[in-house]
Amino acid sequence: MLSIRNLTADVDGKAILNGLDLEVKPGEVHAIMGPNGSGKSTLAHVLAGRDGYSVSGGEVEFEGQSLLDLEPEERAARGIFLAFQYPVELPGVNNAHFLKEALNAQRRARGESELDSVAFLKLIKEKIAQVSMQPELIKRPVNAGFSGGEKKRNEILQMAVFEPKLAILDETDSGLDIDALRTVSDGVNAIRSPERAIVLVTHYQRLLDYIEPDVVHVLAGGRIVRTGDKALAKELESKGYGWLTGRDEAA
Amino acid sequence: MTTGEQRATDLEKVLRRGQQQLAAGSAADNWLSAVRERGASDVMTMARPDRKQEAWRYTPTSFLDKAEYAPVVEGPFGAIQPADVEELMLGDQQGTCLVFVNGYYAPALSRLAPGQHMPQVAVLSGQLGDVPAQLKAHLDGIAEHHHVFAALNSALMSDGALLYVPRSASVQAPIEILHVSVGLDEPGICHPRHLIVLEEGAQAQVIERYCALGEAVYFTNALVEIILRPGSRLSHERLQEESALAQHLSDLHVRLDEGSRYKHVSATLGGAWSRTDLRLNFAGEGAQADLDGLMLARDKQLNDVHLDIQHTAPGCISRESFKGILDGRGKVVFDGRILVAQDAQQTDASLSNHNLMLSRSAEVDTKPQLEIYADDVKCSHGTTVGELDHNMLFYLRSRGIPSARARQMLCQGFAEEILDRIENPALHGRATRLLTERLMTYSE
Repeated sequence: MLSIRNLTADVDGKAILNGLDLEVKPGEVHAIMGPNGSGKSTLAHVLAGRDGYSVSGGEVEFEGQSLLDLEPEERAARGIFLAFQYPVELPGVNNAHFLKEALNAQRRARGESELDSVAFLKLIKEKIAQVSMQPELIKRPVNAGFSGGEKKRNEILQMAVFEPKLAILDETDSGLDIDALRTVSDGVNAIRSPERAIVLVTHYQRLLDYIEPDVVHVLAGGRIVRTGDKALAKELESKGYGWLTGRDEAA
Repeated sequence: MTTGEQRATDLEKVLRRGQQQLAAGSAADNWLSAVRERGASDVMTMARPDRKQEAWRYTPTSFLDKAEYAPVVEGPFGAIQPADVEELMLGDQQGTCLVFVNGYYAPALSRLAPGQHMPQVAVLSGQLGDVPAQLKAHLDGIAEHHHVFAALNSALMSDGALLYVPRSASVQAPIEILHVSVGLDEPGICHPRHLIVLEEGAQAQVIERYCALGEAVYFTNALVEIILRPGSRLSHERLQEESALAQHLSDLHVRLDEGSRYKHVSATLGGAWSRTDLRLNFAGEGAQADLDGLMLARDKQLNDVHLDIQHTAPGCISRESFKGILDGRGKVVFDGRILVAQDAQQTDASLSNHNLMLSRSAEVDTKPQLEIYADDVKCSHGTTVGELDHNMLFYLRSRGIPSARARQMLCQGFAEEILDRIENPALHGRATRLLTERLMTYSE
């Protein structure tokens, strides 16, 4: 589904990704772990198509087609979803309106019919219940004044509504209390299916107690330096990253 | 315009021609002669504003040099039928709607709410019967001629809405004042003059709108006086959607007596040149005013708001929040002055002006001013000028929303924080729709 070969990218002239390879198949959950500054978030943003990250080499294919020339909105329409580490506040933009606009833009781009208000409301009601979000948050401006946990839940709600083929969660577990972590995990587990893939970018092993990964990678210095199964995550928890990166760094 | 040669407007000539017209009219408005004379004598002594005056420094009146504006003559507009203005009307309205065409009351287009005798509604021209004595007594009571246009309005006023809400009366449905401008062979200037008086404890909502049929050059020179007696409450919602070639000036004067409350929302979206002067005087203790405004300045539009908030009585609250959206070579001028007099202790005043620049060629001249002579007050002000936030744009696009639509949504979001304060759903809908249409032609 996602195939990354020898990817190099820089931000402000500084090389962040240095020949990264990654292969994700439908149905798989991959965890990408690594110390701060290893390039985890850069990878997530490059995949979503953010400005300011310049890809200097390598290839990224999604379902057999090159991704790098596509606009962010085209990537979304093809089924790529990035849950932000720091979800952006949009004052004055109503959350329900935003969700409907986004869902229908994706559907239009795929040549599908748009959902009318009735069908959308039915869908949104079901998804809100699924991610245990307070219903009034859907009537407020997107993320504006939301708590950290509410923002992350809102990301998971969007994921549940868009039903992406590939969901990339960038440090979605950071700053969450145990209840919010459980909700986020439930949300991710709910969309797990043989057709979908999930990439969890995380610093900590904690999230992997709730979402069991098929593959665990360690990213350091802009490359994948070790790949294993969930046992690797446990090992990282006890030993830290230093033994893999050659630096003395705590997990 | 009949000749290719450029003609300029001479304001004294406008005055003379206007006076001749008034002299030829009916005698029903003789009671206005003293007010008109005061206006006329001020016109003769006041110069046309220029850049040397601080209040006009960024707001040139050079349009007066490019065309000769002549007083509008009443007459040919009777031919306009309700169907012609249907698109301009707000839906689902029950209250009185007074329609003025090129400044003159148009009975065939207006709606008088049945049985609504509680507020006294009249028009200056006397077409709704004799103007009640209470209204006559208040007319020109608080208007000051801070510039020659205000004086010209007083000198040449011939029509406008007059509303009187008696003591403790509460008017449920909004009362609407709708101006429609129709293109003429020559650029016209008209001087709508409105007066709103709320007696002690009275409550009302007033909607004031300025629209055009087609694109035409004209100059609307309006003056509004609002008197809020103790404990009264007025919600005043304004939408200016003049023709893209028009000039619009609104000079508003508001007096708040003890414990009264004034809620004002304005959206100024149209006109080549638009200026709103809002002068608010806290004359009694414990009054409150909430003023919100949205200014749109697309390519070559100038949109100016001048606030003059005078806290002369103690314990009053005022909150002013104005936002500008600029595109192309649009220009926004904002001047927000809050004066807190020595006796106005316990004043609570805050003022903000935030501007969103969609183009590097646009210009904002913003000046908040606090003048505080009391020592126990809470006052703040803040202004910002910024571009669309790249993080916000990327967030929307990463959810599948195309770039152009994402920009539009963010502009609407920026505006919605002001438009959201409009209580009337039909007016809110219209303002939102117009803004969306106008943002469609996003330049970059």
